[in-house]
Amino acid sequence: MGFAAPVDPARATELLAAAVRGAAADHVEVALLARAGEYTRFAGERVHQPQDITEQQVVVRAVVDGHAARVATSALDRVPDAVRRATAIARDLGRSARGPGSAWTPENAISDDHLLWHEDTAAFDAPARVAIAAHAMASARQMGATAAGMVGRAVTQLAVASSTGALRHVVATEATGSLTVGDGDGSAHWANLHRSRDGLGLTPATVADVVARAVRTRGRKPLLDGVYTVVLGPEATGELLGFLGVLGFDGGLAEAGVGVATGPGRRVASELVTVADDASHPFGLPIPFDVSGTSKAVVPLLTAGLVGAAVGDRTGHAHVARESLPAPVAANVVMAPGTDHDLVAGVADGLYVERFWYTRLVDRQASTITGVSRDACFRIVDGTLAEPVRGARFTQSVFDLLTTVDGVGAELRAQPIMNVWNGSVTAPAIRAHGFRFGSR
Amino acid sequence: MSPHGWGALADDATAAALVEAALDAVDGRVEHADVRLVEAEELRVYRQRGADVDERVEHTLGIGVRVLVDGVWGFAARPLADSADAVTAARRAHALAVAARGASEPVRLPELEVHSGRYETVVEQDPFAVAEHTRQALLSEALDAACVPREVVSAQVGVNAKRQHRHFGNSAGSRQHQHFLETGVLVLVLAAGHGDVQRRSYPNSFHGDTAAAGWEFALGRDLVANAARVGEEAVALLTAPVAPSGTADVVLGGQQMSLQIHESAGHALELDRILGDEVNFAGTSFIGVGDVGSLRYGSPAVTITSDPTVPGTRGSFAFDDEGTPARRRTLVGGGIVRDTLSTLDSSARAGLPLTGAARSDGWGCTPVCFATHVYLEPGTGTLDELCDRLGEGFYAEDNRSWSIDERRWDFQFGTEVAYEVRGGKRGRLLKNFSYGGTTPRFWGSVEAVADDLRIFGYPCGKGEPKQWGFLSHGAPSTLVRGVRIGVA
Repeated sequence: MGFAAPVDPARATELLAAAVRGAAADHVEVALLARAGEYTRFAGERVHQPQDITEQQVVVRAVVDGHAARVATSALDRVPDAVRRATAIARDLGRSARGPGSAWTPENAISDDHLLWHEDTAAFDAPARVAIAAHAMASARQMGATAAGMVGRAVTQLAVASSTGALRHVVATEATGSLTVGDGDGSAHWANLHRSRDGLGLTPATVADVVARAVRTRGRKPLLDGVYTVVLGPEATGELLGFLGVLGFDGGLAEAGVGVATGPGRRVASELVTVADDASHPFGLPIPFDVSGTSKAVVPLLTAGLVGAAVGDRTGHAHVARESLPAPVAANVVMAPGTDHDLVAGVADGLYVERFWYTRLVDRQASTITGVSRDACFRIVDGTLAEPVRGARFTQSVFDLLTTVDGVGAELRAQPIMNVWNGSVTAPAIRAHGFRFGSR
Repeated sequence: MSPHGWGALADDATAAALVEAALDAVDGRVEHADVRLVEAEELRVYRQRGADVDERVEHTLGIGVRVLVDGVWGFAARPLADSADAVTAARRAHALAVAARGASEPVRLPELEVHSGRYETVVEQDPFAVAEHTRQALLSEALDAACVPREVVSAQVGVNAKRQHRHFGNSAGSRQHQHFLETGVLVLVLAAGHGDVQRRSYPNSFHGDTAAAGWEFALGRDLVANAARVGEEAVALLTAPVAPSGTADVVLGGQQMSLQIHESAGHALELDRILGDEVNFAGTSFIGVGDVGSLRYGSPAVTITSDPTVPGTRGSFAFDDEGTPARRRTLVGGGIVRDTLSTLDSSARAGLPLTGAARSDGWGCTPVCFATHVYLEPGTGTLDELCDRLGEGFYAEDNRSWSIDERRWDFQFGTEVAYEVRGGKRGRLLKNFSYGGTTPRFWGSVEAVADDLRIFGYPCGKGEPKQWGFLSHGAPSTLVRGVRIGVA
């Protein structure tokens, strides 16, 4: 069994089209979400969790008298049952309701088939992944450290058929890589996400760079509480941008009158900061449409620092969360790169932060989050990296920091958005001022 | 029909044939193999202010096979239509293990005992048998109650239920069938005004609260009255004074303490973290293998137990996902670390006891160390008596923000509500309460624990690819001295 779409594409579209034809609802959408992924996870001088996971789910959304219900199944032979059950639930909801519902039904009749396929990713098989893991572990071991990480390849498949005539299908490859090197004192990290294995950039040079940075962090000292000029690496920047959704750019909040997207045109970041939800961007996990079959529009979140618009169902950002209400989410966040290749050079006294960890929203109004810095972090003195510092807790307003950005790096890296299917944040490094570490 | 008669995998004979097909496919070529067949169905119904009802039912059926070849693991999972899928999964797991052999330090498992049996969640009323209009009436009434104040700009109420058959078989001969049923409820309110936005939730700020129980769990939560209460409290918070900064004595309520346990005890005591298996993503632990039996983690008032044999919790089971029988273990006894949450692999490598904490999200995820039902043993006295003992300080409850570093050492939490306590009596409502500290110092400052143990079901994320663990924590109100507050 080779590296291929989990469900044969012809079978997938036939299955979905037939399900739609057999539906007795006013409107029905049937979506197949599938992924065949292989992951080589390593730590402690061993490949400790090699995994081969094929998942598939057919989600039926039926609308009767404006009331919508979803029924999902992993069993392809149960799809007709799922259609009947979703229709019955939607009908029951109508009987229990005080009047007709207002469920949105996309006016979508697009029929298309996309192949976002990279042969280099297809060639990233178990022996190739194990070889990278072994190389990383050996490289770290030579320097008295250990390496842990995960490398993987996957085929993602999304197909949607609807009673308005849509029949859409996409198959996309996915390459993932992450690496942590450390020895209990110092550590460094690298991660990226791309449709192409070559685009991922996990090369021996990358491994060597991570090992070297980890070694350089040995003997790190505590970071004193204070306010710092910072250079945030791409992962750290991406972590901050991952909050744009909950700060107001996820459509449900804006509709409730909550969050920053209620004030379009307002300046909340420096003019160097342009961020869009752009599922056509080659970095991250581009995908042309959402689970409703709606084409993903490019939504400007921040344009030269000014508030743009929130994402919504109508912009192709429908999302069904695992343990909470369905709500549109910004799923393909991309910050435009700059031209700076050495942001550190412009800092006389500051801090380089490789990445953040366990960041959480504290105050939506003030856009305040908390978290800790992690892995390879250094003081910056006279434009060069100086002594390594330990991770430290921060509590910081995202927009207060973005307002001070005066340098944007040229390199982009992507990371996943947790709990969002095909979700990614792609970001460059930034230089900013007034970042507070320690308690208020 | 019995609530346990549902599903394609209700029949043991059908499941047994699939388990045997998978095991036979690798028989003689592996040192160990285990097979999990999981069929699950989850119902979620949400009502949200200004929106239509959202109802969904998700069914999934699949197989996960794990093998050990020359001391190297392989895991494969796929949806299950027939025995061919079982064979394919087993063969792919074997192929992965073979591919990783040269690059890995081998693990050697001890000889496994055979454990077979059945387990069913005890329920009074099958949540899947509840009429649609009954669910809708409850949610509609609760939503209306939450939205009475005009400052409430967003409100969500929901009920959820899940039923799942988990069949397990391994090459040692264990055969198990567990049928779990759970029910949950949720209220979440946002109020806006006076230049502020505040949230309140019930009964747990963390995706609601879910227990191993039937519809009686939803009925027992008094959802309508509590929805009204949190709606009013969210509005009251808009004009409440901001909690101060400094150092103070604090009584933390059971919900907040349950998350404190989750983050700083449960995760810190996962043996795979301790061994470094999760360093690339979830992190490690400040606790080392050599600390077990000697490390002072907290004050003598702190005893933390893992006990999945307690019925009715989201962390209740008879066998974990490696087939290890559930057992009660003292993780922290009198403030000293006594044990860990371990799996076959981690306990074998560390030389520590196997505690049966291998959990997985479903058939598509390899088992890792997750908490089970982990709780702080109750002390004596009521919450009021604890506040009386506190004297001057604060009472804080219901988490709204949480963060802890990758070693589970440095944490910072915020709560939805706090109250001044003066002369042992609760006074003014305060907003934006936060506190922070380091794990041993915090737990070392626990002076007393009340007897008002409450239990909360949680989802939890871990592993790569990320999987969800479903577990529970119990905590009574707890008095902690000398806490840094107002840190956010």
